Amino acid sequence: MKEIDELLLPEDLGYTDDHEWAQKTGETFRVGVSDYAQDQLGDIVFVELPEVGDSFAKGDECGTLESVKAVSELYTPLSGEVVAVNEALTDNPELINEDPYGAWILEIKPSAPAEFDTLHKAAAYLEMLKG
Amino acid sequence: MPDHAGFVDLGLKPYKEVHALQVRLAEALHAGTLSQEQFLCVEHPAVFTMGRNASRAHLGVTGSFLAERSIAVVPIERGGEVTYHGPGQLVLYPILRLKKHQLRVGDYVCLLEELMLRVAADFGVQAARDPRNHGIWVGNNKLGSIGLAIRHGVSFHGLALNVNLDLTPFGWINPCGLTDVQMTSMAVQKAENCTLAAVKQRLVHHIRSLFSLEIREHSESQLFSLLKEPLLP
Repeated sequence: MKEIDELLLPEDLGYTDDHEWAQKTGETFRVGVSDYAQDQLGDIVFVELPEVGDSFAKGDECGTLESVKAVSELYTPLSGEVVAVNEALTDNPELINEDPYGAWILEIKPSAPAEFDTLHKAAAYLEMLKG
Repeated sequence: MPDHAGFVDLGLKPYKEVHALQVRLAEALHAGTLSQEQFLCVEHPAVFTMGRNASRAHLGVTGSFLAERSIAVVPIERGGEVTYHGPGQLVLYPILRLKKHQLRVGDYVCLLEELMLRVAADFGVQAARDPRNHGIWVGNNKLGSIGLAIRHGVSFHGLALNVNLDLTPFGWINPCGLTDVQMTSMAVQKAENCTLAAVKQRLVHHIRSLFSLEIREHSESQLFSLLKEPLLP
């Protein structure tokens, strides 16, 4: 397991208690899982993506990540509609392990953009992981 | 002082009922309405469970064939493919917060394998890991299996150790998606004095040492009273 201080936690992202991240990209937000989550889960072998057009409330289950013998649920950090999913993960789920912040999972058009401000900043998320 | 966890022997209980209990415990642990992690120990009446990667093609018999034998087929959210549970197989469902134990999923799988290896060794059965697939093996024969699901950092599902059961139904499936794999049991491997009660006792012993937990065995009704108790401030 990586030491907490070795984890990459980019400053411009918002993080959830369940280790997802959200990043503002214009009018939409990209969503993925943190370095902690990918390290915790180990080799990811399958990603179940939502459908474009699906709507979720913050905290809803919106997909699953599967490592060799376990399935972990993914929860959306923001309410809104899915406008894109990262199809590359269907054939190459290990991209999440290799680059958890490059390998976004879904893109969401927020119905309440201010929810982003309620997510943990990198420093607060780090404190939570240490706690 | 080590943390406490509960251990409940549910006896013989249908798969779906215990699954609902697991989900309830996992949610309560996450919500904080349950503070104590739990190990559920159970035998299931004959059932095939289909993991996220399973397809009916892995099941080599028809629905009517299974219905005649009163064997249920249940789709579930754990990783892995299709497997069989039946009386004489010891199933353990630890409901644990992985982060609290500083465990990655891979480490946790190793720990559950170690638990089964130690229990088997206590009865004179030398099993081993196999890089082809998780679980524990005696040569080319699988003795114990693992499948997990994680919600909000709480792990549920767990392990199944073949103690003394009719292995025939495994022949009707392609267990864990592997071809040319035979299942075995501790009885087939000539385990010494291997009753289910004795195996459970060793299981609790090794949970204590491997997880550094103090285990409190309690009854099913005590477990339900824990669930009803509001969280103390």
